[in-house]
Amino acid sequence: MVVGGRGTVAPPALVSRFSPDMADFHYDPEKNYDEQTLEQQRHIEQEVASTQALVSERLSLNQLIKDYSMEDNIYQQKIQDLRSRYRDIRKTRGDGNCFYRAFGFAYLERLLHDKSDIPRFKEVVNQSKTDLVALGYPQFTLDDFFDTFLDVLSRVESSCTPEELFDTFNDQGVSDYLIVTWRLLVTCYLQRNGEFFANFLEGHRDIKEFCCQEVEPMNKECDHIHITALTSAVGIPVRVEYMDRGEGGLVNHHDFPECSKPAITLLYRPGHYDILY
Amino acid sequence: MAIAEQRIRREFREVIRSEEVERCRIKVELVNDKFNELKGEIAGPPETPYEGGKFQLEIKIPETYPFNPPKVRFVTRIWHPNISSVTGAICLDILKDQWAAAMTLRTVLLSLQALLAAAEPDDPQDAVVARQYKERQDVFQKTATHWTNVYAGGPNHADDLEDKVRQLTNMGFEEDQARVALSSHNWDTAQATDFLLS
Repeated sequence: MVVGGRGTVAPPALVSRFSPDMADFHYDPEKNYDEQTLEQQRHIEQEVASTQALVSERLSLNQLIKDYSMEDNIYQQKIQDLRSRYRDIRKTRGDGNCFYRAFGFAYLERLLHDKSDIPRFKEVVNQSKTDLVALGYPQFTLDDFFDTFLDVLSRVESSCTPEELFDTFNDQGVSDYLIVTWRLLVTCYLQRNGEFFANFLEGHRDIKEFCCQEVEPMNKECDHIHITALTSAVGIPVRVEYMDRGEGGLVNHHDFPECSKPAITLLYRPGHYDILY
Repeated sequence: MAIAEQRIRREFREVIRSEEVERCRIKVELVNDKFNELKGEIAGPPETPYEGGKFQLEIKIPETYPFNPPKVRFVTRIWHPNISSVTGAICLDILKDQWAAAMTLRTVLLSLQALLAAAEPDDPQDAVVARQYKERQDVFQKTATHWTNVYAGGPNHADDLEDKVRQLTNMGFEEDQARVALSSHNWDTAQATDFLLS
């Protein structure tokens, strides 16, 4: 079992198949290497797509035990710790969009059972769209994504069943439209609070460059800064349980924003997010 | 209908035909009825060597559009550090890892127009052109203007450069080949000839 977002996701066999043998490598100026790299990425994405659902069924946490060898004491201990507090997990595809997909599914699933937050959330989404137009984003494409997003939200409000929500999230086209909208919500909040977030950027990038490079393109993974921005933008607090190789046998968590009462809980394993129940 | 096709249809309806597009002098046309292959055209920006030229583009829409960028290539030959003088391949961030689904074909064409106005020689697609751009800006300007005249219908004819091309074609070399060799060797006829013979 492979755990990870983009970059960590390819099994070793896949990587070696694609890496050119450098000893025999001769630069050919007629070749378009960028296109080859993109082609290779597409191929890896297809491999991942054929083995992992965008969003899985709800699975028992016992499933996790099999993801690691029995001799892997650190992880086996931590799974036991998780099992003392959670029952189930819902896995997402390791395609670099996993945080948004997990977050989005968990929140909308919650709305199915408690619709009271929907009017507030709709208002937030509509306001962000207005803000994005003011920031210079083309109305045409915003309409495209926000209409789909709000349409799914309206269905959750009226008649959607859990099965339909599951199918919606596993329909690649619609599912990715939702991802784009979450990304737009993040970029909007980051740019409107650019002065604050600029303090957290490494290197010489300004917040607009950061958004163009790390937020808006599909398949770019989420970091702390994205999660902070998203949870603040939409007012949906999230708890993240961090399961990594650290010693101690216990899984630590972090709440975004701090001291909030989390609406949803996600499991983080290096490079990847899933949903916990 | 596939998402890519649906999106391109909407782009055609709502974006491509707008007045603003006319003003910027960019164009997109369908090649077939499947919406996965398009023909683009951009006018060379004013006060650049490309002014007065019209540059044809080949645009291919992947099935995963708009989540992945369109594949774009110059069909009209052009002398520019970020565009291959041989294949027309383009080095531009938004056509690669900085593409975002909120962008459109209009964004792409306007960005390409902007690229013609502001080359980025430190991130080249064509190393020969980039070196000339950095080391012999005067020769670069002249060469790019000449290419615009010959291949893109630009107005500025350069008799001296044409003469040099003719010298080489008289020796039996093919015209485009001769022009590339001369352009790549700062219009030094002897060096270009050596290169063609080697």
